[in-house]
Amino acid sequence: MSPGIDLQASFIELLEGFGLTHGVAKAIWIPLPMLIIVGAVTVLALVSTWLERKVSAAAQQRIGPEYMGPFGLLVPVADVVKLLFKENISPVNTDPLLFAVAPLLVFIPIFLSFLIVPFGQNLVITDLNIGVFLWISLSSIAPIGLLMAGYSSNNKYSLLGGLRAAAQSISYEIPLALSVLAVVMMSNSLSTIEIVQQQADYGILSWNVWRQPIGFIIFWIAALAECERMPFDLPEAEEELVAGYQTEYSAVKFMLFYAGSYANLVLSALLVAVLYLGGWEFPIPVSLIAGWLGISESTPWLQVLTGSLGIVMTLFKAYLLLFVAILLRWTVPRVRIDQLLDLGWKFLLPVSLVNLLLTAGLKLAFPVAFGG
Amino acid sequence: MDFANLAAQLNAGTILPEGIVIVTLLVVLVGDLIIGRASGRWIPYVTIAGLLGAIGALYFQWDHSDSIAFLGSFNGDALSIVFRGVIALSAAVTTLITVRYVEQSGTPLAEFLVILMTATLGGMFLSGADELVMVFVSLETLSISSYLLTGYMKRDPRSNEAALKYLLIGAASSAIFLYGVSLLYGLSGGETRLSQITAAILSSTGDQSIGAVIALVFVIAGIAFKIAAVPFHQWTPDVYEGSPTPVVAFLSVGSKAAGFALAIRLLVNAFPTVSEQWHFVLTALALLSMVLGNVVALAQTSMKRMLAYSSIAQAGFVMIGLVIGTDAGYASMVFYLLVYLFMNLGGFACVILFTLRTGTDEISEYSGLYQKDPLLTLCLSLCLLSLGGIPPLAGFFGKIYLFWAGWQAGAYTLVLVGLFTSVISIYYYIRVVKMMVVKEPEEMSEAVKNYPPIRWNLSGMRPLQVGLVICLVATTFAGILSNPLFNLANSSVTRTQFLQTPIAAIARPVAQIESSADQL
Amino acid sequence: MPESTFGLRRYSENKIVNLADGVQLVSFLVLAAMMIGAAIGVVLLSNIVYSAFLLALVFISMSGMYILLNAGFVAAAQILIYVGAVNVLILFGIMLVNKRQDFVPLKNAWISQVATAGVCLGLFALLSTMVLATPWAISSLTPIGDEAIIEIGKHFFSDYLLPFELASILLLMALIGAIVLARRDYLPDEILGRDRPSEQPSALTLPERPRELISGGK
Repeated sequence: MSPGIDLQASFIELLEGFGLTHGVAKAIWIPLPMLIIVGAVTVLALVSTWLERKVSAAAQQRIGPEYMGPFGLLVPVADVVKLLFKENISPVNTDPLLFAVAPLLVFIPIFLSFLIVPFGQNLVITDLNIGVFLWISLSSIAPIGLLMAGYSSNNKYSLLGGLRAAAQSISYEIPLALSVLAVVMMSNSLSTIEIVQQQADYGILSWNVWRQPIGFIIFWIAALAECERMPFDLPEAEEELVAGYQTEYSAVKFMLFYAGSYANLVLSALLVAVLYLGGWEFPIPVSLIAGWLGISESTPWLQVLTGSLGIVMTLFKAYLLLFVAILLRWTVPRVRIDQLLDLGWKFLLPVSLVNLLLTAGLKLAFPVAFGG
Repeated sequence: MDFANLAAQLNAGTILPEGIVIVTLLVVLVGDLIIGRASGRWIPYVTIAGLLGAIGALYFQWDHSDSIAFLGSFNGDALSIVFRGVIALSAAVTTLITVRYVEQSGTPLAEFLVILMTATLGGMFLSGADELVMVFVSLETLSISSYLLTGYMKRDPRSNEAALKYLLIGAASSAIFLYGVSLLYGLSGGETRLSQITAAILSSTGDQSIGAVIALVFVIAGIAFKIAAVPFHQWTPDVYEGSPTPVVAFLSVGSKAAGFALAIRLLVNAFPTVSEQWHFVLTALALLSMVLGNVVALAQTSMKRMLAYSSIAQAGFVMIGLVIGTDAGYASMVFYLLVYLFMNLGGFACVILFTLRTGTDEISEYSGLYQKDPLLTLCLSLCLLSLGGIPPLAGFFGKIYLFWAGWQAGAYTLVLVGLFTSVISIYYYIRVVKMMVVKEPEEMSEAVKNYPPIRWNLSGMRPLQVGLVICLVATTFAGILSNPLFNLANSSVTRTQFLQTPIAAIARPVAQIESSADQL
Repeated sequence: MPESTFGLRRYSENKIVNLADGVQLVSFLVLAAMMIGAAIGVVLLSNIVYSAFLLALVFISMSGMYILLNAGFVAAAQILIYVGAVNVLILFGIMLVNKRQDFVPLKNAWISQVATAGVCLGLFALLSTMVLATPWAISSLTPIGDEAIIEIGKHFFSDYLLPFELASILLLMALIGAIVLARRDYLPDEILGRDRPSEQPSALTLPERPRELISGGK
C-alpha cells in the first residue's frame, strides 16, 4: 500500500522554510485540520439541504430553487444568514438553561464524530484505534439532548417528540451497533482506516457490501432511523406533533438542530461508504491502473491524483446514498410509532443477531473471504 | 493458547449440574413459547426433573478430586456441592408448592419457573464462586431474579411495594458490597482469585491495615443483607409479607443458603488477616439476630411476618456455626441448613395451602383448623415445633449440634443466648399450634368456618400435597434418622480444602517471613 | 502502519512529553471539578430532572478520566452504556411518571439533613484516611493503551469466561422479567368471545383483564 501524501509533514516543512522552529510549526498545524473539518462539514450539510430542495422538487415535478445563484445554490447560504439574524426567542416558562444547552448537546457529538471519517489513506483527523466505536458511543449522547429539548420547551408536543426521538434512537442503536460489529469482526479492527484497507484488494469486488448484504441493509435502515429521516421521522411528524422537540426553537438554536440533523445524515452516508462501499477506493484499484500504464506508485502527481480521487470517491458514494435517502423521503409514507418499534425490536434486532452469528460462522469456515 | 488446550484447562465438567439447570430453563422457556398456555401441565415436572437431575449430577461429583474449574473462577469442592444441593433442592420443593398458587393468581407459570431457575442458578454459582468477578455476577443473578420474583404478582400493590423495597435496599447493599470487593482488589494489587488474595495483601500492604477492615465491613454489609441478619434485616418483614408466598419460601431457604456459602468462602479465604474483627462483627450480628428476631416475632399477628422474623432468628442460630469456625461449627451449619430446608419449606407449604383455601394468613384465622383439615394442621404443627426445636423432630437435633459445637469451641455467650431465645421462640410457635388444635368448635374463626371442602384433584393441588408430605416426613424423621445427613455435613467440611488449611496456609508464610527476618 | 496526517498521534510521540504534564494536570483538575460539582448537584438539587441531566455530566467527566488514564475503549464504553443507555432510561422513567407534586416541607427537616451530612462527612473522612494510610501496591506495568481491546477480549474468553457467560443468562432473565412486568395480560380468545360476542374490539382499546387485585398472598 502506498503511504500517499503526508500533508502534515509537507506543511511543517513549508513553515520551517520560513524560518520557524519545528515546535512552533507544529503548534500552528494542530488547530488547522479541526477548523478545516468544521468548515467542510458545514459546507457538506449545506449542500445536502440544497440537494434536498432540488430532488424533492424533481420528485414533485417542480423546478425548485432557481434564482438565487446558479441553480439556486445560494439558498442554503440565505438560510444561514436568515437564521443568524433572527431574534432569539425563548418562549414563556421554558427552562432557559436547558433550552439553550439542548441544541448544543445534539450538535457537538455529531461534529465530533467526523473525527473518525477517513477521506483517504492519510486524510483523517485521528486514526483512533476504537474508531467506529467512538462514533457509536458519541451518537448515544444525542438522545439526552433531545429529551432535554423536549422537557425544557414547556410544550406537550415537544415533550412527546423528545421522548419519541429518544426511544427511537435507543431502539435502532442496537441493530446498528450489531451490524457494525459484523464488519468489525471481518476486518479485525475498529479503526475506520483499517476497515477500508481490508476492502481494498480487489476493487469493487472486495467491498463489504457483497459480503455483508444483510448488514448493509440493516445499517442503512437503522442509520436513517437514527437521523430521523422520512420513513422514521416520527419525532417531528408535523401532522401529529407540529415539529416535535423543535417546535419552540427558532433562530440560532433552531439552526443548530437543523444543521445537526443534516450533518448527521451526511455522517451516516459517509460511514456507510466507509463500512460497506470501500471508502475512498476507486472501483478498480488505482495501483492496478498505474501498473497497467507503467507508472511508478511513488510518482508525486500520481499521489496527488490518488489523494484527490479518494476525497472525490468518498463524497461521491456518500452523496449517492444521500440522494437515495432524499428520494426515500419523498416517496415513502411515514410509519406509525408502534410499527417503528416493532420493526426495530422484533425484526431488525433478531436479524442483525443472526447476521452476526452467520458472519462468525463464515469467518471460521472461509477465513480467506471473510477476514480470518 | 489454542482452543483445545484451553478447553482442557477449563475443567468444564464441574459445572455440569448448573448446565443441566440452564438446559432445563431453556427447554421451559422455548417450550412455553411454542406450545403456549397448554404447556402449564408439563412444565413444572420438567423443572423438577431438571433440578433433581442437577442434584444427581452433584452426587456423582462428590468424589472428584479436581475441583477448580474455569481457570480458578469456580471451585466445585465438597462444601459447594452440599450448598448447591441445598439450593437446588429448595428450588425443586418450591416448584412443587408453586404451581397451584401461580395458577390461582392468574399469572403465567412458565416465566415464574424460568426466573426461579435463574435465581437457583445464581445461588448455585455463588456457592462455588472462587473469584471476585464471579462472586459479584452470580450474586447479582440471584438478587435480580429475586427482585423480579418478589414483584411477580404485579396487580397486587403489596407485591409491587415489596419488590420496590427489596430492589432499592438490595441495590444499595450490592453497591456497598461491590465497594468492599473493589477495595480488596486494590489492596491485593489486582488479584481477583479468593485463594490468592490473602497472600497478595500480605505481600503488598502488610499484615494489619485499615483498608482490609473497611473492605471487611462493606463486604459483611452485603452478605448480611442476603442472609437478613440484624441490623440489615429491615427489608425482610415487608418483603416477606408482600411477595408471593412460594417466593418467600425460596428466599428464606435457597437465597439464605447461598448467602451463607458466600460468607464462609469469602470470609475464610480473603480475610484471615482481620480474622478477629470479622469474628467479632459476626458474633454481634448473630446475637442481635437471635434476640431481635425472636422477640419481635412474638408480637406478630400475620403468619408470614412471624415466619419472616423467625427466619431472621434462624439465621442468627446458623451464624453461631460460622463464628466459631471449627470443623464441627461448619458441619453443624450445613446440617442445620439441610434440616431447616425441610421444616421451613414445609411451614410455607402449609401457609400457602391455607391461603389458597381461605385467602388470609392472619394467625388468629387459624383457630380451630384441626376440625376441618387434620393433615394441614399436623404438618404445620410439626414444622413449627421443629423450627422451635422440640425433640424428637429434626430441628431439635440441628440446634443441639449447633449449640454443642459452640460449647466445645468455648462460645458460651452465643450458646446461652441461643438457648434462651430458643425458649422464647417456642412460645410463639406453640401459640399457633395451640390456636389450631386446642380451640373448641365454637371458637372457630370465620375463615375456618367457611373452609372449603378439601379437594386434592384440582389442577396443581397434587404437587402441593406431595411437597407437603415430603417436608412432613423429612421433618419428622430427619432427626431420628439423622446419621446420613450428619455424615454428609461432616465429610463435606473435612473434604473441603480451604476449610482444612486456612490457618496453616496463612500462618506459614508469616512464620517464614519472621524466621527469615530472624536469620537476617 | 498508516500514520495520521493531521495527526495528534504523531504529535503525541514527540511533543506531548513536555506539554503533557501541564495539559494532563489541567484536564484532570477540570474534570474532577466538573465531576464533583455535578455529583453534588445530583444529590442536592430538588428538581429531579436536573439531577438526572447532571448525572449524565458525571458520567461524561468520568469517561474523560478514563481517557486521561489511557483507556480509550473503556471511556467510549462508559459513554455508550451509562450516558446512552442508563441515563436515557432514567430520564424516560422520570418523564413518563413525573407528576409534579409539591411536597410539604417537613418540620425540622434540618435535623435529618445535618445528620446525613455528618454521616457522609464521617464516611468521607474515614475513607480518605484509609486511602492515605494504605501502602497501595501500585502496578508498575505500562498501560497498553490501544491494545486494550484485544487484551480485554482475551480475558473474557479465558480466565473470566464463566462470569462472562453467566452474564448472558442474567441478561436473558432480566429481559424476560422486564417483559413479564411490563406487558399487559390479554384475555384468552375464548373468554373474550364469550363475554362480548357482538362487540368488535376497537383499535384503540386493548382487550385486557380488569385490574382487580389478586387475593393470593394475603
